[in-house]
Amino acid sequence: MNPPNTENIYLPKLALLDRVVDDIPEVKTFYWRFEDPAAQAEFKRFRPGQFAQVSVFGAGEFPASLPPSPTEEETFFTIRQVGSCTSALHRLKPRDKFAVRGPYGNGFPMQDYAGMNLTFVAGGIGLIPLRSCIVYALQHRAQYRRIQVFYGAKSPGELMYRPDLLRWEKSGGLECHLTVDRAANGWNGHVGVVGSLFKKQGVDVPVDNTIAFVCGPPVMFRFVIKDLLALGFQERHIVSTLERYMKCGVGKCGHCCIGVAYICVDGPVFTYEQIKKLGEDI
Amino acid sequence: MKARIVNSADVLQIVDLLRARGYEVLAPFCGRGRDTCFDTVTDANRQQVEIHLPNPYYPPKRFVFPHIERLMTVHGPNAQMKIEPSCEQPRRAIFGIRSCDLAGLWHLDRFFLGRDFRDVYYEKRRQNLFLVNVVCTDPARDIAEDCFCLCADTGPAARDHFDLQLMDLGQGEFMAVAGTPAGEQLFSEPIFRHATAAHLDRRRAILAGVRERFRTATSWFSATVRYISQGAVLEKTWEQIGNRCLECGGCTYVCPACTCFTVSDRPLGQDEVERVRIWDSCALRGFTRMAGGFNPRRAVHDRRNRRFFRKLAQYFIQRELTMACVGCGRCAAVCHGDIGMPSVVEMIRRAAPETAPK
Repeated sequence: MNPPNTENIYLPKLALLDRVVDDIPEVKTFYWRFEDPAAQAEFKRFRPGQFAQVSVFGAGEFPASLPPSPTEEETFFTIRQVGSCTSALHRLKPRDKFAVRGPYGNGFPMQDYAGMNLTFVAGGIGLIPLRSCIVYALQHRAQYRRIQVFYGAKSPGELMYRPDLLRWEKSGGLECHLTVDRAANGWNGHVGVVGSLFKKQGVDVPVDNTIAFVCGPPVMFRFVIKDLLALGFQERHIVSTLERYMKCGVGKCGHCCIGVAYICVDGPVFTYEQIKKLGEDI
Repeated sequence: MKARIVNSADVLQIVDLLRARGYEVLAPFCGRGRDTCFDTVTDANRQQVEIHLPNPYYPPKRFVFPHIERLMTVHGPNAQMKIEPSCEQPRRAIFGIRSCDLAGLWHLDRFFLGRDFRDVYYEKRRQNLFLVNVVCTDPARDIAEDCFCLCADTGPAARDHFDLQLMDLGQGEFMAVAGTPAGEQLFSEPIFRHATAAHLDRRRAILAGVRERFRTATSWFSATVRYISQGAVLEKTWEQIGNRCLECGGCTYVCPACTCFTVSDRPLGQDEVERVRIWDSCALRGFTRMAGGFNPRRAVHDRRNRRFFRKLAQYFIQRELTMACVGCGRCAAVCHGDIGMPSVVEMIRRAAPETAPK
């Protein structure tokens, strides 16, 4: 058990917004750092898959995935403008202040996956939390065997992190398969749901000794799980990161509790085997 | 046992002793009709403190976990922005807390302080809290129809977690039992005298008699805990329970063991914002609604399922060492749809032949 923690768990630390980069419509990436360098250094020890609580005072606080890998230089959030708090963040300008606390949650046990194949399956903005793992895996390339990314979005314009995707593919470190629901803007790639990529000509998904990371909207999640199980994946080798309405991030406010698990402290990363045993539909 | 005797005529002097020691003393008072409440004792209302009265619906939980509590203020324009936490550390005593509410406090202790993250706001309010427990002995005034502490194993006499416990022995005498050194320290005051073996016998006899006065002696918790933990309760049963829920949130509001809260930022003035936490309720539809509008627990029966699962599932009992139900009966008293804890336990148990695990 951890030693008792006497600090104020609800108190965020001030952060400074460095710059804002448009990603896809309604989604921006916010590069930031803590005012206090010591806080920054401490925060940088986060694990892929963990999350942070972001405060924009006056609007409120919300949980956000950490898309950077801890091995990267900069810290940033990629946020879709969807509610009042995220809209308030979207209104901030470089050098504006907001506040962050965390990191929270269990994260992906990347070390446990050493020696395995990694298959990432993402839909829409589900790539945001998985980005951390992908970058981490590429930076520890020797530890892992094959790395595949299957990524789908509604339209070509809604594919996240396009420069990253291109760079990863060019690096030769992983196989990248993209798809869109509706082709447009001269898209000549695959069209169809993410799961259809598994059956695409020339694609083979290693099943033995493979961890499948799945993250995306609920409908996509259900179908991809079905496809992966049909391919022969074991339930404990499928991992995902769940999200819920969340106020505290530290297991107190009660909003994110699904069945027996508090998503914030017991998750957000669960294997499909665990998800099935939570005692409540996700 | 560290037991003393105090005359009924002197028992409220304990309130004075605590006030003299610098405590803000909160004690129960009668309002109009059934209304009772805990309030701060002052020179003006000291004579109106009641020992035997129906337990207030608004639980004393609020003295450690206020209904609305400021967490921090943030001030200054952007460049000079400063966050200031606001932790209160009052020196308070609750006089006349019932055994069920005491068990509720202990449950909150486990929840807020017992895991990886300690809640400093709760901790500071709890640290100096002096608890004077009163045992429910008067069937006409203390014990309500809906009380089921016997079944929840929290009363009528708490076994632990109080500083001082008072029990009316009749014949103009109260027995005082110290639960902590702080409680024992009060025994140096002249109002206390030593208890005799005869007093202890009277205590035992009264407790045995009081147990008979509870209408609800058992609500079959153990069977229900098992069915809920095994997921053996049929969806149909949850729907029946859900159909009776008016979604008012009253049950969670009066519950001494409910802990859920929401957090909100409120403007205080120019460039000044306070962040507060406010009690929240899993009975309300917006409880799990996410920013995009997706709500994983939209149906009312799913939300009712949630409340009782959270309170009774074996997994949480192991985690917090106690059920999140202390048998105070408040939810049963305030629920317009009659789905307080005892009714739900009974509905689940009655459906048992259908739900019995294969």
